Amino acid sequence: MFKSKASKITGILLLSASMLLSACGKSDKETSGTAAKNALEQIKEKDKIVVGVKYDTRLFGLKNPSSGEVEGFDIDISKELAKDILGDEKKIEFKEVTSKTRIPMLNNGDIDMIVATMTISEERKKEVDFSDVYFQAGQSLLVKKGSPIKGLEDLKKGTKVLAVKGSTSAVNIREKAPETTVLEFENYTEAFTALKSGQGDALTTDDSILYGMVDQDSNYELVGGTFTDEPYGIAVKKGNKELVDAINSALKKMKDSGKYDEIKNKWIKSN
Amino acid sequence: MDITGALSADHLKFLADGFWLTLYVAFISIVLSFIIGILLGTLRYAKIPVVSKVVAVLVETIRNMPLLLIIFFTFFALPEVGIKLSVTVAAISALTVFESAMLAEIVRGGLNSVDKGQIEAARSSGLTYIQTLRTIVMPQALRRMVPPIVSQFISLLKDTSLCVIVALPELMHNAQIIYAQNVNYIIPVFIVVALMYFIVNYCLSLIARRLESRQA
Repeated sequence: MFKSKASKITGILLLSASMLLSACGKSDKETSGTAAKNALEQIKEKDKIVVGVKYDTRLFGLKNPSSGEVEGFDIDISKELAKDILGDEKKIEFKEVTSKTRIPMLNNGDIDMIVATMTISEERKKEVDFSDVYFQAGQSLLVKKGSPIKGLEDLKKGTKVLAVKGSTSAVNIREKAPETTVLEFENYTEAFTALKSGQGDALTTDDSILYGMVDQDSNYELVGGTFTDEPYGIAVKKGNKELVDAINSALKKMKDSGKYDEIKNKWIKSN
Repeated sequence: MDITGALSADHLKFLADGFWLTLYVAFISIVLSFIIGILLGTLRYAKIPVVSKVVAVLVETIRNMPLLLIIFFTFFALPEVGIKLSVTVAAISALTVFESAMLAEIVRGGLNSVDKGQIEAARSSGLTYIQTLRTIVMPQALRRMVPPIVSQFISLLKDTSLCVIVALPELMHNAQIIYAQNVNYIIPVFIVVALMYFIVNYCLSLIARRLESRQA
């Protein structure tokens, strides 16, 4: 009795699942028609680049509640890319991504590229294609002035290090200081607030972002220099060599013309 | 702490924009899940062969999953099978699916609380099963369901803040962007956000109390 009921239920579930799939199969075919064109041609056809950027990261991509615009290093670089590829820096649309949502959104076709403080790593290269390095950061430590922690070697058992979820810095710190406790937060402000309220002894992420925090509160300082290389890259959907080439050539032109240094000096103060 | 900086006119407007989306998403989810919840709850209560069992399995599965997982599912997993939803639609779908299952149980509980003797009496006086449900059981059950349904709506409104993980620009999301400008904004912004949720939810509670006392 139970068996037959259970099989009825699975039958209905399977049926509805297959209906769902067949309904989607159709839309898949429709999209594959346009997918034959490469990503660069698609961008040129719609005459607009959709870029995934952070909305909550100071200096790189931060939405300004007053103007409604997103501002930062990543934003200015993206606008230069639009200028080079489509001839107009206004032919661009920004969509918000987080460290968790950026790769799925790229692969779904919601965005054409990711310019969002994304470190190039071997792991990520399996999922996306990266441009050349467009920003070279390095992981460092932020502590309150006068803290006994002077560098990586002071992160022993019992010290608490604060990091941000989904970032490479959390992975790196576990590797470099395996005995320390790592606490992960949703975003940089929350991690910094946790440091200020004494929930941890140090905060770790890329130095470029840490300088932005020192800028807000000078009671804090960076210690121990950088202990990793964090090369930021622009990510596109896998298998789009033409688009990667176009981005790389635009980046090279930016560097040659001095525009890149201008943008960098505008946002990244220290070093 | 920087109260004047944190609560500038622009920032308050930005928070209000976020809150508007919170209310919008919550309202649509409430309407949809109310309809679906009543339907599912009644189907499960009615003990129709197979159908009631299927509904029971569905409701129990969804009810015992964290909402966060359902939000991840609608945003990350559905596109894998070709269903692409905007972040707002994905959020509304996730909330509706989850809250429908919660409401279905409230509805079933309310229907069960109606004395079985009344059903037998109605049936023997010639009413059909559907008529009995509609005219005898439902009105009494709905009255008893009001308090738990309203508290479910209140938690739905608060649960919209979970959608911040898929970057839905609702109240919590906009609050995070404001305090990302300056770390000294965090506490004043939290206080204003708490007030916004409180005012709306407290109004809902008051409405619920009104409805209850009117029936008593």
